[in-house]
Amino acid sequence: MAAAKLDMQPEDPNGLTWDKAPCRYCGTGCGVEVGVKDGKVQAVRGDERSPVNKGLLCVKGYHLPSMLYGKDRLKYPMLRKNGKLERISWDEALDLIAEKFGTALKDKGPNGVAVYGSGQWTVFDGYAALKWVKGGMKSNNIDPNARLCMASAVMGFVTTFQSDEPMGCYEDLDVAEDIFLWGNNMAEMHPVLFSRVLENKRKNPDVRIIDIATRRTPTSDYADVYIEFRPGSDLALANGILHLMVKNGQVNKSFIEENCVFKRGIEDVNEIGYGCFGEQANKYGFKDKAKDSNYDEFVKFLADYTPEKVAEISGVSKSQIELLASMYGDRDRSTLSLWCMGVNQHTRGTWMNNLLNDLHLVTGKISRPGNNPFSLTGQPSACGTAREVGTLSNRLPADMVVMKKAHRDKAEKIWKLPEGTINPKPGLHAVDMFRSFTRGDTTAMWVQVTNPWVTIPNLNRIKREPNDGKFLVVSDIYPTPTTDVADLVLPSAAWVEREGVFGNSERRTQQWHKMVEPPGEATEDAWQIIEVAKRMGMGNLFPWASDNWHEPMYEEYREFTLGVAKDVASYKQLQETPGLLWPVVDGKETRYRYAAGYDPYVKKDKGVHFYKGKGYGERAAIWLRPYHPPAEEPSAEYPFWLCTGRVLEHWHTGSMTRRVKQLHQAVPHGYVEINRADATTMGVKTGDKVRLVTRRGKLELPVKVDGRGKTPAGSVFVPFFDEHLLINQLTLDAMDNISKEPDYKKCAVRVERV
Amino acid sequence: MNVKTWGLLFAVLLPAACSDEANGKTAVPGQPGATKTVAVNRALRRAYDGAPPVIPHQDFAAACVSCHLTGMAVPDIGYAPTVPHANVEFGGAMARCRQCHVYSETDEVFKESEYVGFAQDLRKGDRLHEFAPPRIPHQLLLRENCLACHDGPAAREEIRCSHPERTRCLQCHVPTNHGTVFVR
Repeated sequence: MAAAKLDMQPEDPNGLTWDKAPCRYCGTGCGVEVGVKDGKVQAVRGDERSPVNKGLLCVKGYHLPSMLYGKDRLKYPMLRKNGKLERISWDEALDLIAEKFGTALKDKGPNGVAVYGSGQWTVFDGYAALKWVKGGMKSNNIDPNARLCMASAVMGFVTTFQSDEPMGCYEDLDVAEDIFLWGNNMAEMHPVLFSRVLENKRKNPDVRIIDIATRRTPTSDYADVYIEFRPGSDLALANGILHLMVKNGQVNKSFIEENCVFKRGIEDVNEIGYGCFGEQANKYGFKDKAKDSNYDEFVKFLADYTPEKVAEISGVSKSQIELLASMYGDRDRSTLSLWCMGVNQHTRGTWMNNLLNDLHLVTGKISRPGNNPFSLTGQPSACGTAREVGTLSNRLPADMVVMKKAHRDKAEKIWKLPEGTINPKPGLHAVDMFRSFTRGDTTAMWVQVTNPWVTIPNLNRIKREPNDGKFLVVSDIYPTPTTDVADLVLPSAAWVEREGVFGNSERRTQQWHKMVEPPGEATEDAWQIIEVAKRMGMGNLFPWASDNWHEPMYEEYREFTLGVAKDVASYKQLQETPGLLWPVVDGKETRYRYAAGYDPYVKKDKGVHFYKGKGYGERAAIWLRPYHPPAEEPSAEYPFWLCTGRVLEHWHTGSMTRRVKQLHQAVPHGYVEINRADATTMGVKTGDKVRLVTRRGKLELPVKVDGRGKTPAGSVFVPFFDEHLLINQLTLDAMDNISKEPDYKKCAVRVERV
Repeated sequence: MNVKTWGLLFAVLLPAACSDEANGKTAVPGQPGATKTVAVNRALRRAYDGAPPVIPHQDFAAACVSCHLTGMAVPDIGYAPTVPHANVEFGGAMARCRQCHVYSETDEVFKESEYVGFAQDLRKGDRLHEFAPPRIPHQLLLRENCLACHDGPAAREEIRCSHPERTRCLQCHVPTNHGTVFVR
C-alpha cells in the first residue's frame, strides 16, 4: 500500500529506512521512528516530531526492535494432539474454530462463546472482534484485559461526565503547578510522562510533586511531599480533603451552581459486596442506583470525615490532611491529579475515581491547562480500542451501550444488520468469563494479545488442563502459560509486522504502516477473526477487499464517532500526522474537552460546558461516596498486606520484554520486597527465600530488602511479570462491583521463612 | 554483519596502544592509569548503535552524575565517559538516568534471540568534497554535548575531533536526519 509518510528523508546514510509508529508497550503512546534494513527492524529512535515524547523514550522503548526476534516466536498454527502441539494449516485451524464456536452457540446460546481480548488490540483487531461477537454471533461475551486495568476509570468518567476519558492532555504535565499522584509510580510506569513532569519542575522550580502512596517508589525520590496512607483508605482521605475545603470556604460555589449536580448511589456495604467469595460471589450482578442529592446533603455527608477521623482510618497525620486540602483548595495554583492502577484496581475503584473528579469539580479546577483529573492508562490502546471501540461486554463504539435501544439501532444501521440483531443483555465481564469457562457454561473461548493464565487474580480458581471437552484458542506471538493450556495456538503478527492504529491516554489516535514481514505464517489478529467469521457465514460483516480492508474498516468505525464529540481523525490525516486528539472537527484536534475556546462542541462563550452529561442537564455530577474497608485485611493469621504491580523494565507478563536481553538481565526474575525492619525481625536478607501464604495459595520468592521500592513495615510488594513465580495464585479476586475490576493491590498474606 | 563483527573490526582497526586489551580496556591518552573500554565491549553494551548502553559496573550507591557529568578516571574501574545529554546537572527530563540505562543482574538470557542490531560505520558522515565538514549522521537529541563523544579521553579514535577548541560545532556540521530535497 502506498504510504503517505511524514516529512522525512527517505534515504538514510546508513541504509536504514525510517517510518513512524507508536511504541508497542504502555498507554503513554510515545512516537518512535522504526529503522528497517534487510527486511528486519534493526533500530529505533524517539520521534522528535511526536508531541507525546518529543524524541525521548524509556528503556523498553529503546529496546523495541529485539522484542520481535526471540528465537521461540510462534510461526505456525498448532493444534494439541495427544497432549502435544502439532503444526496444522491455517485452513484447518480456521475451520476448526468456526466449527467449535458454531457448536457452542448452538448448544449453549450466546453465553456458550467468549472472546477475551486486550488493550493491546489494535483498533482493527478490536473492531473486527466486536463486530463478529455482537453483530455476528449475537453474543455480548467479549471483554478485554483492560477490564483488569482501567474499567474503574471508565465508570468514574461515565458516572461523573456521562462520557469516558479525560478532558485534559499531556500538555497538563508541562504547565501544572501542583501535581498529585494518587497511588501512581509514574517514574516506572509512565517514565516518559514523568520526564515531562520533571522537566516542568526544572523550568519552574516552584512546581510541587505530591506523591500519595502506600509504598515508596522511584517516583517518591522526586516528590516534594510524600504521603503514605493505609491501603484502601484513599476514599477516606479524599473525603477528608473535601471536608476541609468545604469547611475552609475553598469550594467554588458559583462554578458548582453553573456546572454541577449532586448524586449519590447505594452505600450499604452488604448490598454491594466485594464479588469474590461466599455469599458475595453472587453479588457481581450488583447495579448501582443513582439518586439526586444536593449541596447541603453533600456538606452533611462530609461532616463525618473530620481530620481526626480520617487520620485514624488512613494513618495520614492531621497536618498532612490539612496540607493536602490547602493545596487542592488554593485558587492561585493549578492542580493536576494523576492516577492509574492504584485507584483503578480497587474494590471501590469507581468511587475513588468519582472522588478525584469531585476534588476538581468543587474547586472548578477542570478543563483548563494544568487543571484536570487525569487517569493514565497502562496499555497502548486501552483507550483507543477497549474504551473507544468499546470491546467490553456491555459496550458499543463511541460511549454507547448494548442496553439502550437507540444505541443498538445506530450500530445495526452502520453495520447494515436487521433491527434486533444485537443482544440487549450485557455479556460476561472478564473475571466472570473465566469463572464461566471453568464451570463449563462457556465452552468455546478465544484469547488474543493477552496472557490471562498469568494475570487473572486467584489463578487457582481457573486452573485448566487441555482436552477437558471445552475449546480454548489463543493467538499470541510467543509461548506463554496461556498457550500452555490452549487447545489451538495461532501465531500473530506483532507491532510493525502489520498495519495498525492505537489510541493513547490523552485521546491521541496514532496510525502506523506494516514495515516488515511477520515470521513464518503469522498473521494479524483481525485477519484471523475475519476469516473465522467468513467460515461461519458472517462474511457480510467484513465486505472489504482482502488486500485493502484497513482504511475502509477504520472509516466505518469512524462513523460511530462523528457528531457525538468522539470524532476520531480521518485515516488519511492519521497517516500524515503523529496522531491527533479527538474530537477532531474540521481536521483540528481538541486539547481540552468541555472547555470554551478549545472544544468545538462547547456552546458557551467562556468557562466549561459538560455537554455530554445529557442526563444531568448538560452538567457533571459530584458524587457522594463513602469510605468502605477493603475486602480482606491483615489479621493475626495473615499479618501483612500484599500489593502487586510492575517494574520499569518489564511490560505486563514479560512475554515480550523478557525476550529482550538487556531488559531480562536487568530484572531476571520475580521477587518480594520486604521492609528492612520486618526483614530484621524475621531474620531474612536480600537473596534469601521466603514463602508467601494467602487464603488462596502459597509461593516461594527471593527476598529484596527494600529494593527499588521501599514498602512500609507490615506490607510486601511482588511484581507480577514472572511466569515462573505466579503471584496471582495468591491474589484475591475481589472486585469493584460497579466496574467489575479486580483489586490486585491489597489482600492479606503471611510471610514464612523457608 | 552483526554488532559483534563490527566491534571486532573496530578493535582490529584501533591503534595497537592497548595495554590491557585482554581485560577489554585500553589506556586513556593523557590519563595515567586510566583505561577505557575497547570498541568490541562498547558495542556489546548496546542493542544497536543509538541504543542507550547498559550500565557495565555494579551499583555504587552514588548519583550517576558524580562521575559521568564531566567524565572521570575511576581507579581500577576505567574511565567514566561524559554524559552527552543536555541539562543533566539540573534535574528535569534527564534526571532519571535509570529510565533508559539499566544494570545487569545476570548474564543469562530468558530465551535465545535472533535479533541483529544495526551497527554503523562511525565514519559515515558524508561530505560534499574532501575538504568540506562532514554532516552529522545521527540524531542530535540526547547528544547535545558533541565533545562527550568526539573529544576527551573516552572518544574513539575514528570520530575524534581535530579542533575541539571551536566550540560551535553546528556552525559547520549539520544534521542529516530530517531534511528533504528543496523544491521551489
